Amino acid sequence: MVTLGVRRWETLRHSVQGVGKRQNQDWHDCQGSGSGTDPLVLAVADGHGSAVHARSALGARFAVDRFLVLASAFGRAAHDCHEPGRLTRLMTYARDDFPRALVHEWRQEALGHWDRNRPVVEEAAREPRPEEKLVLYGTTLIGAVLTPWLFVAWQIGDGDLAVVEHDGTLTRPLAPAEEDLGDETESLCGREAWRSMRMHWAPVFEQARAPRLVVLSTDGLSKSFASADGYAEFVLGLAGRLAEEGGTGVRESLPAWLAQASRYSGDDTTLTAAVRHPEAPPEASGPAAAPPPAEASAPAPAADTSAPPDPRTAAGPTGGDVDMERKTET
Amino acid sequence: MANRPVHFIWLLDCSFSMQGEKIAKLNYAIREAVPEMRSVAHDNPAAQLLLRTVTFSTTAQWLHQTPVPVDDFTWQDVQVDGMTNLGEALHLVARELQTPPMPQRALKPVLALVSDGVPTDDWKAGLKAVDATPWGRKAVRVAIAIGADADRGVLQEFLGNPELQPLDANSPKQLAAAIRWASTAAVKAASQPVAGDGSGVSPVKQPYAPPVLDDDDDDDVW
Repeated sequence: MVTLGVRRWETLRHSVQGVGKRQNQDWHDCQGSGSGTDPLVLAVADGHGSAVHARSALGARFAVDRFLVLASAFGRAAHDCHEPGRLTRLMTYARDDFPRALVHEWRQEALGHWDRNRPVVEEAAREPRPEEKLVLYGTTLIGAVLTPWLFVAWQIGDGDLAVVEHDGTLTRPLAPAEEDLGDETESLCGREAWRSMRMHWAPVFEQARAPRLVVLSTDGLSKSFASADGYAEFVLGLAGRLAEEGGTGVRESLPAWLAQASRYSGDDTTLTAAVRHPEAPPEASGPAAAPPPAEASAPAPAADTSAPPDPRTAAGPTGGDVDMERKTET
Repeated sequence: MANRPVHFIWLLDCSFSMQGEKIAKLNYAIREAVPEMRSVAHDNPAAQLLLRTVTFSTTAQWLHQTPVPVDDFTWQDVQVDGMTNLGEALHLVARELQTPPMPQRALKPVLALVSDGVPTDDWKAGLKAVDATPWGRKAVRVAIAIGADADRGVLQEFLGNPELQPLDANSPKQLAAAIRWASTAAVKAASQPVAGDGSGVSPVKQPYAPPVLDDDDDDDVW
């Protein structure tokens, strides 16, 4: 786990391998401070992980790596978004061009890897088509970029982006209208995958209205809950604990929480999050450099967090011990 | 937090045409399959394997309507009686595959049909009802043909996939392996690209050829 000491945002991230899985096919990374010249970029990816997608762990890594490069460049380009018409052009790029660029770069990286690491086959065997090669690397991706004036996120496939807004409300801006049944997902390995990429566009016109917490997680976390409400409670509990204890305490507990989730979902489980520093300074050259909010005190915890986390019981972020009995849903 | 359930539903033909050796084979098949299913469940503790059975003859009825955890499942031999109302049984199952009562957060259900075929009611309407439910479309399906004279066309249509073949109940080992495969395919948690995503690559079919018995690597999910 890596921590970036930043003024604007503090980050935390961790990943655990699913019980019984041969290897962890998730990948995650984050970089930057969140300033205008050094945007904060976060991403998680979940390789499909089966014999058909034998190189999906690499596919997930390629996706995260390419996203970080492209999204950092995009964030830096947004530095002058206060110029007339600039914001609209940036939004058009983010919606239409960024997904194409990302998918193109991921495909190039995966196909390049395939060329350098060809499977051993009979000499007369037909060369697979690019789409067939890419299936080996199939993965989902969620990524976000945060600058003082802009919060943009993209997602293809399953997993979750959760945002605790400035007023403490939870939103899941990229969640599908209706939850998919089972484990089918959109994928970067699909033809015209950019068409399946969803985007969340949220300019920040006032510093005080920036998100408090942004959480990206693979589906191993949300699928460990019996319903979407459980996942929402987890995120709100996480926000509460971060407000109470700061990143250090939560960072110590996070591996145990994710390990517990993985035991229920049976899947690799990865989370990366950015929590806004309550006293983040305004950006001097921003379009709406508001003074630090008067109400920038810690949000009220979403649940009773008076009990300290107990790693032995792997209590969830809401502070209560998790019922370890297997529940039967019918 | 909660483990996601896997609903495994047996559809068992108890019509007169199953009299004698056939119904004995059916009862034997279930008895042989249950230990395999327990083994799969123990290997995959993140999933809850829950069993139900529907029997169909002149009427279709639930033998176990409440899902039973595989560890608690016990088998009492069934007897033959009357016609072959497969359609009615499929309608019963279709009702259970709606959400609710099926939870949204579940793994793929398994539908296992054990029959000698030759239904006597409008079974295609029942199959349409199953296919009309989201979970019915996603279900892992297994068809076990009882007897050399079994009407395999019906079983093939139930499978809904030309790459899958009905199994013969003649080989207990092969049968056990097939049930193990179906259970494993369902309990493994792994996101897969949606079928027909335009990639030009055929959606991944359930890799069913009669299972390789000595291959301990029968799980296709990493």
